[in-house]
Amino acid sequence: MSAVSGLPEISPRRRRTDKVMRASLLVATLIALIPLILIIYYVLKKGLSEWFKSGFFTTDPNGNFFGNPGGIRSAIVGTLEIVALATLISIPIGISVALYLVEYGKQSAFANVVRYFIDVMTGVPSIVFGLFIYIVLVLGHVGGGFTGWKGSVALSLLMLPIVARAAEVVLLLVPNSLREAALALGAPRWRVVSRVVLPTAAPGLLTGSLLAIARGMGETAPLLFTVSVATVLTGNLGAQMNTLPVQIFQDITSPRNEIVARAWGAALTLVALVLILNIVARLVSRRSRMA
Amino acid sequence: MIPPETTSKETSEMSKAGGPSEETAEAAPDLSALGVREGAGHAVHVKDLHAYYGQHHSIKGITLDCPANEVTALIGPSGSGKSTVVRCINRMHEEIPGARAEGSVKLDELDVYAPGVDVTAVRRLIGMVFQKPNPFPTMSIFDNVAAGLRLTGTRSANLRERVHTALRAVGLWGEVKNRLSEPGIGLSGGQQQRLCIARTVAVEPEVILMDEPCSALDPVATLKVEELIDELKERYTIVIVTHNMQQAARVANTTAFLLEGELIEHASTNDIFTNPKDERTERYVTGKFG
Amino acid sequence: MQETRHQFRESLKELETQALGGLDLVISQLDRALESISYQDVELAGMVVADDDRIDGRYLEVHQGVLSLLARQAPVAGDLRIVAALLHTIRCVERMGDQCVNIAKLVPLSGYEAPKDKGILDAIERMGQLARSQLSQSKEAFATRNVQLAQDLVRQDAEINRLNREIFKRAVDVGDDQDVREWAMFMILVARCLERIGDNTVDIAEQTVFVVTGLFREMAESATPPPARSATARLTWTFPTKWTSPRIAPATRWIARKTSIWRARAALTP
Repeated sequence: MSAVSGLPEISPRRRRTDKVMRASLLVATLIALIPLILIIYYVLKKGLSEWFKSGFFTTDPNGNFFGNPGGIRSAIVGTLEIVALATLISIPIGISVALYLVEYGKQSAFANVVRYFIDVMTGVPSIVFGLFIYIVLVLGHVGGGFTGWKGSVALSLLMLPIVARAAEVVLLLVPNSLREAALALGAPRWRVVSRVVLPTAAPGLLTGSLLAIARGMGETAPLLFTVSVATVLTGNLGAQMNTLPVQIFQDITSPRNEIVARAWGAALTLVALVLILNIVARLVSRRSRMA
Repeated sequence: MIPPETTSKETSEMSKAGGPSEETAEAAPDLSALGVREGAGHAVHVKDLHAYYGQHHSIKGITLDCPANEVTALIGPSGSGKSTVVRCINRMHEEIPGARAEGSVKLDELDVYAPGVDVTAVRRLIGMVFQKPNPFPTMSIFDNVAAGLRLTGTRSANLRERVHTALRAVGLWGEVKNRLSEPGIGLSGGQQQRLCIARTVAVEPEVILMDEPCSALDPVATLKVEELIDELKERYTIVIVTHNMQQAARVANTTAFLLEGELIEHASTNDIFTNPKDERTERYVTGKFG
Repeated sequence: MQETRHQFRESLKELETQALGGLDLVISQLDRALESISYQDVELAGMVVADDDRIDGRYLEVHQGVLSLLARQAPVAGDLRIVAALLHTIRCVERMGDQCVNIAKLVPLSGYEAPKDKGILDAIERMGQLARSQLSQSKEAFATRNVQLAQDLVRQDAEINRLNREIFKRAVDVGDDQDVREWAMFMILVARCLERIGDNTVDIAEQTVFVVTGLFREMAESATPPPARSATARLTWTFPTKWTSPRIAPATRWIARKTSIWRARAALTP
């Protein structure tokens, strides 16, 4: 180190190490990105043409072995309805569980047990939920055999821990000083929660909910065992309905190319729906952060 | 991110708000807007207070009288329990999991810890201002000040009047009267703290507790808040916790020195800072420890 | 435990040393002034007058130091009392220095011959010694914060006051020789200066008590009896009491003004 020329320069060895590290990190990122890009590319390539076929979105798939295979209208409608019902079930319950854990249970033994179970539930394979509902509701013939609403129940079981977890995180992020301020004004706790905590956490809760919905949309296994397979368009959740994942599952193994192509189109639709939900979730969270 | 202070414009707000003439942006606190206060002031009597955080015995038998319509300051090194005492007065202490308090805290003759007492009613009578200004982020300035009334379920026919008078009382009216619907967090730190004080004052408490209200503020904002405290003591009894001794010297009528959960000395501020009786007070106040 | 505010304590100690050091300067000035009186040494007197600049300089230093400490360190409680006492003390020091100068200035005026009256001269010497001992006692009392020592100064000061009155009496009875009478007049003034020095040391003692107890009490000469009706009283004439009742007081004042015996104010103060 020369005392005359000022600050020392970076040694060549350090420069080399730096370059090597940067390169390897870049390679790792690419390795992670490539399959994702390939998937999107593949789905787009195979499915985009289906979108522009007439009747893709306006006709139902007919189960005929011959003839025009039809579109996927009933699948889209079915998915939307079943997921909507699942949302209606899981989101209020999930947020309520999170509220209990954060506001009332806190670190009590019971609350910790609940937290543990929720964590476990996030790891349970989705097929298990399907099987559970199959055994309890379908085989027991509660309100009919395979029905749409039972699929919703299964999906809501899947979505519940996700919503609860995300909501808990968001609610914990609400600064305690706000709760204290509201309490110190003489507000009862339920008002503190409803007027201060929930509005403050609202953007985060919305984001978490949207992500849970996106997850629920794409699950196949629970639907197989609860809603089973159908093709007709029906708005009746008490009957068997068609859903996108099941439709794809059915079509992809067909010997007819048009049907396989239709499966790709359905896959692209599903991906598009999930993507839209994710983008909306991100926009909401960014807007709330900027406020 | 913080918008600059707007200069006041003479707008039609004048006709809407009525009452006293509009002041310039640098308004002095104007408590007369709050109207005449019936009855004498209210004193706080703490007797043999013990407070625990789980097993930890934090306050060890403190007896303290805070005279009505005066400012009582609590000073002491960190961990001496000043904030705990103040939180016990309005029963915020028990909101912490595992915390409990024993002893008697009386607002005039009413025992705050009597069995069956509604905690929210206590807190409506004994307001609190915190160290870090905490306006509600999802609410506008107006809603923030009205929050106290709305959250306690007080049906008020003249909500707007009360909000306006509260803002006048803290000297914020001139600075915010044109932007009452803007978010409360858009104000500067000193303004936010005064907003929180307005929120507390709008509920018309009898006692105002302040837990290091100026710690997070710059010197000018600090002086404004101190001036406000001086005005407020005409109507309310104020108990202020501060670790800034010069602030206690400027603001308080009487000062209490706490050390490790015990009350060492409580006397007029003048005596504490010119001739304290206890040696520990002398050592703390002259900076020999703390 | 680690001492906090190290810088502040150092500054305060230094300031106190400076202020009390001023007392040492006064002691040396007093010694030389008295010497010049005894030996009619005009040159020495001149030196005393010139050296008063040092005491004035010390006053300014301490004054500035106090202001600086107040502004920058915001002392409270005991420290504040010390700072206030130092300010007061250094003023007393400065005044005492001025009194020494007054004594020195009387030397050339009191004539070049040897002093005339041994009695008066002895008394002056005794006063000087007492003043000197009071100076060092007040310094020690302040430095060691000794309240007893401080209160003892009042007793000693009573002695100086007594000597002052004695010198006055002797001067009045000194005889007919004009030169001697003139010299005696100047000695009265010297005695007065010494008595003022004594009072100032009592002031310093009061400050010592204030620093220690936080209470400020005038240590008046409660030990000294009221002056007897002696030759002194013949000059400070007091009006009979009934002449001071509220209705008659204005007339009394008129009479006093007209006859220009004004020193009756002691009787007229409420």
